[in-house]
Amino acid sequence: MLEELSLLHTTTLQELTHANSLDELETIRVKTLGKKGTLTQILRGLGQMEPTARSVLGTRANLFKEEFAAALGMRTEQLKQTQLAKRLEREWLDISLPGRPRSVGTLHPVTRCQNEIIAIFTAMGFPPASGPEVESDWHNFEALNIPPDHPAREMHDTFYLPPGPDGNKRVLRTHTSPVQIRVMEGQQPPLRAIAPGRVFRCDSDLTHTPMFHQVEGFMVDEGVHFGHLKGLLESFLMHFFARPLPVRFRPSFFPFTEPSAEVDMGCLFCDGQGCRVCKKTGWLEVLGCGLIHPNVLANVGIDRERYSGFAFGMGVERLAMLKYGFGDLRALFENDVRFLARHG
Amino acid sequence: MKLTLNWLRDHIDIDLDPATIGARLTMAGLELDALTRLDQGLEQIQVGLVETVEPHPNADRLTFCRVRVNEELLEIVCGAKNHRPGDKVAVARIGARLPNGQEITTGQIRGVTSYGMLCSVQELGLADQADGVLILDPTTPIGIPVAQALGRTDVVLELGITPNRGDCLGVRGVARELAALTGYPMRPLTTTPVPVTAPDAMARVHLEDPNGCPRYAGRIIREVKVGPSPAWLQQRLTAVGLRAINNIVDITNYLLLDLNQPLHAFDLNRLTLPVVVRTASTGETLRTLDGVEHHLTPTMTVIADQQRPLAIAGIMGGAESGVTETTTDIFLEAAFFDPITTTRTGRRLELHSESRYRFERGTDPEAILMVMEQATRLILDLAGGQAGPVTLVDGNTWQPPATLWYRPERVNRMGGVELTPATMNTILTALGCRVEPMDATRFAVTPPSWRHDLKLEEDLLEEIIRIHGYDQVPATLPLLPAAAPLPDPMRQIADRIRIRMVGMGYQEAVDYAFVAPAWQQRFNPELTPLTLLNPLSEEQSVLRTDLIVGLLESAQRNLNRGNHRVRLFELGRVFLPQPDGSLVEEERLACLMCGPTEELSAHAVTRSADLFDLKGDLEALLPDVTGSEISFLPGGPPFLHPTRKAEIRTTHGVALGWMGQLHPQMADSLDLKKEICLCELHLPRLIGLPTTKPRHQPGSRFPGIQNDFSFLMPATTPAGAVIQTVLAVDPVLIRQARVSAIYTGTGVPEGHKSLTLNILLQADDRTLTDHESKTLSERIIACVTEQFAAGLRG
Repeated sequence: MLEELSLLHTTTLQELTHANSLDELETIRVKTLGKKGTLTQILRGLGQMEPTARSVLGTRANLFKEEFAAALGMRTEQLKQTQLAKRLEREWLDISLPGRPRSVGTLHPVTRCQNEIIAIFTAMGFPPASGPEVESDWHNFEALNIPPDHPAREMHDTFYLPPGPDGNKRVLRTHTSPVQIRVMEGQQPPLRAIAPGRVFRCDSDLTHTPMFHQVEGFMVDEGVHFGHLKGLLESFLMHFFARPLPVRFRPSFFPFTEPSAEVDMGCLFCDGQGCRVCKKTGWLEVLGCGLIHPNVLANVGIDRERYSGFAFGMGVERLAMLKYGFGDLRALFENDVRFLARHG
Repeated sequence: MKLTLNWLRDHIDIDLDPATIGARLTMAGLELDALTRLDQGLEQIQVGLVETVEPHPNADRLTFCRVRVNEELLEIVCGAKNHRPGDKVAVARIGARLPNGQEITTGQIRGVTSYGMLCSVQELGLADQADGVLILDPTTPIGIPVAQALGRTDVVLELGITPNRGDCLGVRGVARELAALTGYPMRPLTTTPVPVTAPDAMARVHLEDPNGCPRYAGRIIREVKVGPSPAWLQQRLTAVGLRAINNIVDITNYLLLDLNQPLHAFDLNRLTLPVVVRTASTGETLRTLDGVEHHLTPTMTVIADQQRPLAIAGIMGGAESGVTETTTDIFLEAAFFDPITTTRTGRRLELHSESRYRFERGTDPEAILMVMEQATRLILDLAGGQAGPVTLVDGNTWQPPATLWYRPERVNRMGGVELTPATMNTILTALGCRVEPMDATRFAVTPPSWRHDLKLEEDLLEEIIRIHGYDQVPATLPLLPAAAPLPDPMRQIADRIRIRMVGMGYQEAVDYAFVAPAWQQRFNPELTPLTLLNPLSEEQSVLRTDLIVGLLESAQRNLNRGNHRVRLFELGRVFLPQPDGSLVEEERLACLMCGPTEELSAHAVTRSADLFDLKGDLEALLPDVTGSEISFLPGGPPFLHPTRKAEIRTTHGVALGWMGQLHPQMADSLDLKKEICLCELHLPRLIGLPTTKPRHQPGSRFPGIQNDFSFLMPATTPAGAVIQTVLAVDPVLIRQARVSAIYTGTGVPEGHKSLTLNILLQADDRTLTDHESKTLSERIIACVTEQFAAGLRG
């Protein structure tokens, strides 16, 4: 029996060493220690042996069993390592390849800019309002203190439409200010709103498109004054451009505000030193504003003694060009997907 | 409005530098648009004396000269031949730059070295062409800058004047403004009238249209000598961009710019007195100085004689009655024309002039006599002549600015400032207003005759804080109630759609609201779009009645530029004319898709996007933004592929829009080579739909059974109908039915398809038994085979 065990010992351990796969190892394990395994048979046979021989053979057999388990474990681990190494090698990826292309869309730069403006004013308590793009002459001009023969009409290259069923003149709105009239017509102060939207002027060249976007804003309440207008717009510009900027208010003229002002901010491109963009002035014109003209308040039935208000308007494309830095205005409405991907 | 610094200094005694003056004016509302030195580019060019002129030894057309500039004698080869020894010329020496940027270098010209250049007016940038070198006045000192010799030492300020400040369209008006701003004193104008030396030269005037012309003054000046203006006058005019013509015309132009009063000089011998200021008669015509023949109407005011109109009042004189070289006697006009009549006439005739520009904005009716005297004096000085008496006809249809009042308390309250009434009154007085106390809280203010824009208390408020300085007004933030406004559902859904569409890979487009009528007609022939009365072009002349016209144009543009993969969406308004003539503006959403599903890459399965890509996007989008389930039914507009289109409705039948593939014929005619998928939806209809999409569907804890069933059926059987039939077999236990494969080919008879459905059976309260599952499966098979003439496939 002892020789038999000794032989088994030698051959089994050799087999383990030469085994090249986990399957082979399993076969050896079953052959040796399975229910009918060779070593199992020997161990099972110990019971029928005389005590002395049993003691000797038993000790040897159990030692062998331990040795076998250890060797099996070691070889298993070795083979697993080899296998893993092979797998890792097989799984080599060329990570220099680009990832799977995701098609990510973009908002139009005008929308993006408009959304930013709306978000700032909404946070300041000025909710967005809207109005029609085909406007009556009354809302677009007369109510805003621009009578038919006013020279200011020449500043608005107006697109005209045939009159409506009521016989009233219709135009494509030349600014978003008529929304101010529409909001004020329906309600009494306190009133606050902004009006983002498309506007139209028959002018088309390098720096003008016949359609563009404006955001109008206004507030009417008791005690509203010019200092409030300054504070609000300074605050807006600082948030929009995300940095403190010098801002100046310069007297100007709009028929619907009195006093009127144009708002310049320090040039973003030269820090006010003077460059091509700001025409060497150090300033960029970004907004028009003023206190609402008393005739406008009277036109919508608001008591001009009790209430005062301010209004302001800005060009979305201009702000977008300044903030996102693209040069060609006309490219905005060509919808070239490469342009949109770059600037959206 | 252009003026020069020296010109300004004729009116105000000021020693500030031009940049500072520009800055002060800008901050008072007269924006400085440009500041230009007249000697710009001429700094390095000097006056030289030609000492010798010899023929060039090697070239007939060139000359070789010796020119003295101070101590130096320069040898210069010159291409011109009009200079003689003793002439004073403009010399650009080695290293000097010409206005066009060219630098003068030592040059060999046909074997002779040249150390400089003699300049022509063209090379000096003063004219477009020249004939020979510029010969200066013989008294010009040698060595001085040529700019000085030419009187180009001034600085030109270009100001943007807003429409309300017509009074600043003259140099004196700007000076007044500057005086109020800075306190520097104005120089008084000579007011003594010119002696009348031809008392019999009566300028007879009949004023028949006092509304179009409230005030008219005329004067005859005899025996004038028409000729060129003196250098100072020519220089002033050219400095601000006007061309010198002759002394009489130059004087009228000069005073228009100087005192903001347009004047007109008629040739007295080409008209028959009296001059009549009247409305035009129907059918009358007049050829104006610019050579254009105008048809006049009775709404227009004209200056006429006994036979015919001579001038369109306040806008332009006639070609036949103007001053020419041969004129000896003139009729000089200074008038106040009505701004509104002038505006209407000018617009009607599309006729622009410096004169119209000023009358439209309102001139000073009280200034016409003063300007008439100034003009007469200048004419007598520069052209000689005998002045007759002035005829002034007053229509009594004008009024000096009315007195108004203001409350200093209100100015402070609305201006956000704290100024004393004394400060405010000082500002108003400096602007030419007469200010008097009225009562405890108010002051009465009478504006000067040139300020037509001061009518309301708010106008005075602007004047006060403008001169005080907008930058002096403290900026504060208004205190507002912390109330959240009600959300606007249209804006909310538009925002959600944008987020979704961008997430799904679409790019937002913005198209013009006006399109070409021919395009619009092809896509929406039933609706006649609204046409602009004054479009920029035929291509942009009607208001769009749908969005896809713009998107298709954008797609075309992209494909032409080699952008093959296009995914665009637009949210915008369409303009729908109604039968009663009114107009409805409706917000729409439109999408366009064409080109490969993915950009080219090592990983991508390249395939052209088809209608199911678009449908999948809509199936993801619409239930999410509306909360409602949607269905796709046969139908859709005729410009789509007849069997590849659908109407999009809610399960309750509300029509939301359509989707489809562009009809191949339409695609061909638009030269679109790709398969283009489109959809357009009515945004208002997406709002407020009933919620049919289950908000929360608890999953069963019990295992479900998934089985595949393959049916053979006619190829055109809609899979959607089969699914509906399957689900209807047991709405509780049949949880899901999906098409997992469609097969045609070997083993499937012609005209048939094999449709494989993957069906999930599941109960909420138990595990289904084999028996239940088997029974259900049999019922499903029975229903499908029966309803769709189908057979189960092995």
